[in-house]
Amino acid sequence: MDERLLKISEAAEILGVSIDTLRRWDESGKLTAIKKEGGTHRYYWEKDIEIFASDLFKFASDWIKEGAEFPGTFYCPTSAVFQARLVKMERMIMEKPGFEKLYSLIVLVAGEIGDNSFAHNLGKWPDTPGIFFGYDIQKGTIVLADRGLGILETLRRVRPDLSTHVKAVEVAFTEFISGRAPEKRGNGLKLVREVVLTQPIDLFFVSGDAEVYLKGANKSFQVTRGPNVIRGCMAKINF
Amino acid sequence: MKLKLEKFGTTLMSRELGSEAFKAFQPTLLELYPSDELEIDFSGVLTLSSSWADEFLSPLLEKLAERLVLLPSDNLSVQATLKILQEANKRPFKFRFTPLDIANDLTG
Repeated sequence: MDERLLKISEAAEILGVSIDTLRRWDESGKLTAIKKEGGTHRYYWEKDIEIFASDLFKFASDWIKEGAEFPGTFYCPTSAVFQARLVKMERMIMEKPGFEKLYSLIVLVAGEIGDNSFAHNLGKWPDTPGIFFGYDIQKGTIVLADRGLGILETLRRVRPDLSTHVKAVEVAFTEFISGRAPEKRGNGLKLVREVVLTQPIDLFFVSGDAEVYLKGANKSFQVTRGPNVIRGCMAKINF
Repeated sequence: MKLKLEKFGTTLMSRELGSEAFKAFQPTLLELYPSDELEIDFSGVLTLSSSWADEFLSPLLEKLAERLVLLPSDNLSVQATLKILQEANKRPFKFRFTPLDIANDLTG
C-alpha cells in the first residue's frame, strides 16, 4: 500500500487553504488530522486529502448556504481566472475517450453558467465576489456556484412583475431577456437548456428555492420548488 | 475578406472578451470594400459560446447584413451557438457551403 503521510503545510498547499484553516478544520472535526503518539504536529493521509477535496457539491453548497471556507483551488475571484481554468478543463475533457466532439458542448454549458454569474453580479456582489468552480473529469462532474444576487433579484430589475424564484428561473431558461437591459443579452441559459435537453449531459441548477433537474434519456424542462432557499446560483453538471 | 476567428483565441467564452474582440476588429473592418463579403472561418475554434458570439457576430450581422458569410463548421458548440443566435436575433445568418459539402450532400 503506497500511503503517504503529509505534513500540514503540504496538505494546505494541495487544498489551497492556510495552515490556520486546517487547524480550525481539525478542531471542528471538518477534516481531522493525525497526531503521532505524544506529538502535537498534525499530519494527513494523502488519500484522505484527495477524498476530502473530491466532494465538490458539498463544498459549493456549504459555501453558498453558510459562507463556509473551501479549498482555494476551486475559487475564481475574477472572470479572467475562470476563463483560464475553463481552458485547462477543456483540454482535459478533449482527451477523455468518447468526448472528442462532445467536449465543446460541456465547456459551453459550464462557461455560460459561470460567465452569467460574473456578468450579472459585476459591481453588485453582496459579499464575496467570484465563483466556486470545481471539476472531476474522471467522474464526469462539474460544480459551479456563486454568492451573488440570484436569478430573481437580477431579473426583477427588468421584469418587476416576477414574484417567485420558480417563475424567474423559468423565464431565465426560456425567454430572451436580460438582467442587464437595455444591453442586448440573455441567451446563455437558453442555450444551456437546449444543449442539455438534446445531449448526454445532466444538469441540476438551483437559485433561491427554484430547482431545475434535467437528467437521463427523456429529459423535459421543468422548474420546481425545492426545500431550501439558497443564495446566488449553484449548478452541477454530469456527463 | 476572410477572418479566422481563432485569431481571437480558441476558447471564445465571455461577453467581455467578445466585446473586446469586436472593438479590436474595427480598424480591419474599415479595410473591407463596400462590395466585399466578410467570411468567418471557425476552424481551429474549440469552444464558441453564445455570449461571445452575441458580442461579435450579432453586431457584424447588423452592420454587414448579407455581406457577412459564415463558413461551415463541424464543431458542436459553433453549431449550437449559431442556432440560438439566429433565434435570438430573429434573423438568419448567411452560410457558405464549400464544394466538399455539396459533394457530401449529393453522395449522401
